[in-house]
Amino acid sequence: MSEAESKPRRRAPLPGDPTRRQRLESMLRVNHAGEYGARRIYEGQLAVLSKSSSAPVIRHMWEQEAEHLQTFEQMLPERRVRPTLLQPVWHMAGYALGAATAMMGEKAAMACTVAVEEVIDQHYAEQSEDLADEPQEKDLRKTIEKFRAEELEHRDIGLEHEAEQATGYEALSAAIKTGSRLAIWLSKRF
Amino acid sequence: MSEEAREGNEALEELRARLLEAALPHVPFDGWGEAALLAAGRELGLDTVLVLNAFPDPGRDLIEAYNHRIDLEMLERFDEEIPRDSKVRDKIAALVRLRLELLEQDKEAVRRGAAFLSLPFNAGLASRLLWRTVDIMWYAAGDTATDYNYYSKRALLYGVYSSTFLYWLNDRSENYDATWAFLDRRIDEVLKVGGRLGKTMSRFMSLPERVMGAQKKDSLKSRLTRRKRPFTPRDY
Repeated sequence: MSEAESKPRRRAPLPGDPTRRQRLESMLRVNHAGEYGARRIYEGQLAVLSKSSSAPVIRHMWEQEAEHLQTFEQMLPERRVRPTLLQPVWHMAGYALGAATAMMGEKAAMACTVAVEEVIDQHYAEQSEDLADEPQEKDLRKTIEKFRAEELEHRDIGLEHEAEQATGYEALSAAIKTGSRLAIWLSKRF
Repeated sequence: MSEEAREGNEALEELRARLLEAALPHVPFDGWGEAALLAAGRELGLDTVLVLNAFPDPGRDLIEAYNHRIDLEMLERFDEEIPRDSKVRDKIAALVRLRLELLEQDKEAVRRGAAFLSLPFNAGLASRLLWRTVDIMWYAAGDTATDYNYYSKRALLYGVYSSTFLYWLNDRSENYDATWAFLDRRIDEVLKVGGRLGKTMSRFMSLPERVMGAQKKDSLKSRLTRRKRPFTPRDY
């Protein structure tokens, strides 16, 4: 307790702030949506690059995302949290993003991975910090930390595979990051 | 939440339950509103301020509390009476039936409640309460959908439950047999609609895979311009 007290706390809750339950709901909803989208991106990439040299790496990342997704798929009904309304949109958009970047080449596909995973890393970091002062959500926080580490691993895999040498890396990365942040913003709410 | 706040909440919940119980017999005469609430408060010998604090917007708050109580009782009876391994269809039918049977004890109050909730400015509350009820029903039936099916299932049950409820309000048949037959027909219909919807949606959702699959096998263009029937000698 003393450690928590010595840290400067975020501001006290004000009337009209989302309740703990509401924050938890939007957290789980957006995580589920994010993992769903991520899995779809890798599926889109695999549809194009299934015979290329990077296919095993992408398949490995796909498997990890599928596992993350399964965790949240179990958690939503358990905790009675509704899924995002936009699931069909992420289904289409994720796949399209994966396939489109893969068609631009393996490096562009890796650049896409790096951009998405960087945003997800920030997102998970924020959540983990939010959960820090809620002892009853210790397990959830541990899960999120584990997933976050794996997402960072994906980013590093992307960088190893010369993501930064993709044509127009800066622009591509900025566009994908903006899109991912928009997707997060939307999934938290709808 | 501090210990004190938790205790305060529990005390308030208990007060609300007692007030609701006492108000129910007055509702058929006074309607869902302040009159029934204050009558309940007088009977229980409670201070008016306390009573109004428990239900600040008497009509709407009382209805919401009643609705919630019925949902909980429905779940309790569902757990006791319906075997776990029944088919989903039977579970849903049983839930609707259990709920209407519970409402039957207060039928006149429920009738007034339906009239109250059909007022335009209560439309939001009405749909929120209905949605919560069908949500609870689906979770009780073991639903674990995390995609668009979550919404389509609830939307379909929303239609089934609300139409059955309206039919039930004016049903004078013995043991409500006509209502249960009505319910069965509605569920049959919905299963058909749901099946068709499911097929259409899965065709739609597999669109990206089909487009990309075409690219792998042959070019997208040739796939799109493929002939419906094979070539015959006459074509040349």
